[in-house]
Amino acid sequence: MSYQFLLEVLCEEIPANALAPARQQLAERFAALLAGAGIEGATVRVFSTVRRLVVSLAGLPARLPDRVETVNGPPARVAFAPDGSPTQAALGFARGQGVEVGELRVIEGPKGAVVAVTRTVAGRPTVALLAEGVPPLLASLHFPKTMRWGGGEYTFVRPVHRVVALFGETSLAEAVPFELFGVASGTVTVGHRVVAPEEIDLRGVAGLEGYLARLAEAGVVVDQEGRRARLAAAIEALAAEVGCQVRPDPPLVAEHVELVEYPGVVRGVLAERFLALPEEVLVTALRHHQKCLVLERDGRVAPFFLAVADRPDDPEGHVVRGNEWVAGARLADAEFFFQQDRRRRLAEHASGLERLVFHQKAGSFAQKTEVIGQLGEALARRQAEGLAEPVRRAARLAKADLVTAMVGEFPELQGVVGGIYARLDGEEEAVWQAIADQYRPAGLEGPVPRGMVGAILGVADRLDTLAALFAAGEVPTGSKDPFALRRAALAVVKICAETPLERVAVPEAAAAAVALRAASDGEVLRTLLDFLREREHYYLVTAAGVSPDVAAAVLGARWGVVADDVARAQALEGVREEPVFADLAQAFKRVRHMVAKAGAAGPAAGRTPLVEPAELALASALGALQEQVAGEAAAGRYREALRGLAGMAAPLDRFFTDVLVLCDDGDLRQARLALLRDVEALFLEIADLSCLAAGG
Amino acid sequence: MDLQTLILELSRFWSAQGCILQQPYDLEVGAGTMHPETFLRVLGPEPYRVAYVQPSRRPADARFGENPFRLGKHLQMQVILKPSPPDVQELYRRSLEALGIDPAVHDVRFEEDNWESPTLGAWGVGWQVLLDGMEITQFTYFQQAGGIELTPVAAELTYGLERIAMFLGRRDSIYDVPWSGEASYREVRHRDEVELSRYAFQVADVAMLERHFADWEREAVRCLEAVGENGAPDPLVIPALEATLKMSHLFNLLDARGAVAVTERVALIGRVRRLAVRCAKAYLEQRQAMGFPLLSPGDAAGAAARRGGGGNGAAPAGGGAQRRAGSEGRRRVGRS
Repeated sequence: MSYQFLLEVLCEEIPANALAPARQQLAERFAALLAGAGIEGATVRVFSTVRRLVVSLAGLPARLPDRVETVNGPPARVAFAPDGSPTQAALGFARGQGVEVGELRVIEGPKGAVVAVTRTVAGRPTVALLAEGVPPLLASLHFPKTMRWGGGEYTFVRPVHRVVALFGETSLAEAVPFELFGVASGTVTVGHRVVAPEEIDLRGVAGLEGYLARLAEAGVVVDQEGRRARLAAAIEALAAEVGCQVRPDPPLVAEHVELVEYPGVVRGVLAERFLALPEEVLVTALRHHQKCLVLERDGRVAPFFLAVADRPDDPEGHVVRGNEWVAGARLADAEFFFQQDRRRRLAEHASGLERLVFHQKAGSFAQKTEVIGQLGEALARRQAEGLAEPVRRAARLAKADLVTAMVGEFPELQGVVGGIYARLDGEEEAVWQAIADQYRPAGLEGPVPRGMVGAILGVADRLDTLAALFAAGEVPTGSKDPFALRRAALAVVKICAETPLERVAVPEAAAAAVALRAASDGEVLRTLLDFLREREHYYLVTAAGVSPDVAAAVLGARWGVVADDVARAQALEGVREEPVFADLAQAFKRVRHMVAKAGAAGPAAGRTPLVEPAELALASALGALQEQVAGEAAAGRYREALRGLAGMAAPLDRFFTDVLVLCDDGDLRQARLALLRDVEALFLEIADLSCLAAGG
Repeated sequence: MDLQTLILELSRFWSAQGCILQQPYDLEVGAGTMHPETFLRVLGPEPYRVAYVQPSRRPADARFGENPFRLGKHLQMQVILKPSPPDVQELYRRSLEALGIDPAVHDVRFEEDNWESPTLGAWGVGWQVLLDGMEITQFTYFQQAGGIELTPVAAELTYGLERIAMFLGRRDSIYDVPWSGEASYREVRHRDEVELSRYAFQVADVAMLERHFADWEREAVRCLEAVGENGAPDPLVIPALEATLKMSHLFNLLDARGAVAVTERVALIGRVRRLAVRCAKAYLEQRQAMGFPLLSPGDAAGAAARRGGGGNGAAPAGGGAQRRAGSEGRRRVGRS
């Protein structure tokens, strides 16, 4: 026989961002509860709406499986006399356990043989397990923010009003009794606040399917996937009716799924004059407060929007008219900010940055602007001709939008607003694009700035942030990274790799950034370089897809011209599986080991000639390869260069077999070490192969 | 519905729910939360229900009477229900019906919107209530005030009166809202907005504001450290809180005037908060000394509270209350 359990916890409105994690935790913890009780093969399904947490368990037994229990008694030598007859100790133990003495067995305990009783304990009813297990399980859920209410005795995501807990075979007829946050479990819930607010007695409901159907009649789509599908269909239909498409916004749609019990969609009309607003402003104004979706036609914003309501209909048109009024008010507000901001040029707004503190110990945004300008100019000169001027201009204007009314209202538009205002001020395209793109990339995904000016601005801004905050002692530790410095460092790496900035070396740029923040302490730079290098390693592994040891090998040779590091890493990743590289890595480990142990090179002059055939062969192989490898490397053909290095495997192997490097003749020893140093130098043109994991 | 009918209907409704109808506090405050009928009454075990209109000053939001949606002084209808009753959402819904809004034909939503007030050492969890997409009320379960953990928990409902009136009348400007049957909001208030904006942004005497800030700080401390006739400490809680509220408003004026360097900001807010926390603690001790007179005699919690403070010892300020700095009486956080 297979039984089902249904749990519904009805709360006041639960925050959208709390629901997906709660569903996951419920699924995991109920599975663990069942597994802990020895129940196998049950299914756990979890649903939620803005007011409900719902768990359905199926495939449950009526009772928990029987358990075999062993109770250990006294040691066997005490329990039985030499003639094998039971002593008082055995008799007493048997009596205590309620068994005949003949049922005692002798088993090996940790301290030798003991007598023991083994018996089968009948499993208790599954209902008892649930009644006991559910309240602590619910109380243990973790939420982003919890609260107390009323008398303040309980803490949960929101106040709990009703708990339905039902058990049964096909008809869920048995109430599972317990108390949760002061609410006694029962069989009665309520429907949708508007559609069917009356009570619904679920006793006897036909399992999960019956429950879902009953709630659907009461205006509640319990299954989040069901709501997602309805929402998607309604959105598409309303857009198609006016010959438009919805501008895709998956995070917003996903949020709406969590915000309702029944997703209804209405289409509102926008006044044409608002289409004159910059598109980003229009879209953000509608999205930011109103969570509205925008429609477009031929790639341009159309004069409509979609709003999501928690009800299937709009019987008197209040919902659409209300949303239209609010959207109009928000856009009029945005228009007001836009016009107010546009009374002054962006460059004039920049004067307000004096008063905007970047960090207590790192001065104002005006100061930051100055530093970014200097650093950006230095990087620009290094990268290419003609970049310095636009980079300086972009840096000067980059942060000015932080003091505009528009960014004050819509912080997520920082950069974008600056870009729009710069464009409208007639700044050249490279400059306004750089301003608009300065916060790209948002993370590992997402595009880098569109042009070279934006790339350099983005790198300079973040390196300055890193240098300034490291100097101020704000180095991230563990999970603490309040200024998102890891993301900033990763962005530096990603921009350098993907723009690419093939002539900017990150370590050198970082040193310049630290110098501009007047950090005399060498420790700051060292810490920052380690931090950046670690982020580059992460980038190579995560974004460039190379193995961790390959990344380490490449960065171990040299690092920081990221595009070049990526090329070397991918070349090495491509050839490492070839058998010769395993030998080569081993041989190179020996080379490095010997060179490291020998310490600094002796006087180079008057090098004693090499004598052994194996070392002469190695020297000649090296001589032949040096130019080839250097040539391939210079041309960026790292795969070919690595194949060239593979030619060193056999001579190195022979060398280590035939030649005693640390011979008694000091001069000869120095000559051999010098040869190995040259070999090492050649390898390190490409990668430190000694980092490669064996058989990796 | 004109503004004054809105106020009358809400007052009538909440009065019928057992609320004391209080009057606005006669000081400039940033929000109804700062009124002692909220800030102090939510402390300790005593039950309380109160409703009042509070003109709320946000000098930095002033817009010279030019922006149709923003005011430097707006009206809040503040309702406190302590402890929060289980049917508080239902009561709220019925208050909308009292305004002629039938929730059955509208979209009424409760979307997460928490708030904290760094100046009051207070924070709460709750929602913004949206009516057909319009934010009409802040609904908050108070968790902490003056750095003190609150038990029982009060529900606070704050209706934005101008917004609601604008929305119900579908007006495109606050100033077009009818105040009464005859007078518009413009006729009653537009000139104040212009003048208060000019004062806040252009005219206010920064040196004087700074001086008064320090003066009232000293005065607050003097009140808190006042001694009774028998030589024992006998703090003057209300005068101390009033001095603290004056500091808060002076800070907001300085901020609007652009006279608060960002580096000073946290420190100035911290000076106000420290006093708010002391006022809260002094109030609670005073009520405890009085035996929490509003507790009903049969109340078991009350008896426990009278003996041991009901678990309401002055907990150290902390928790989520002071994570962010801000200028106003209320600040929303964690919008999702």
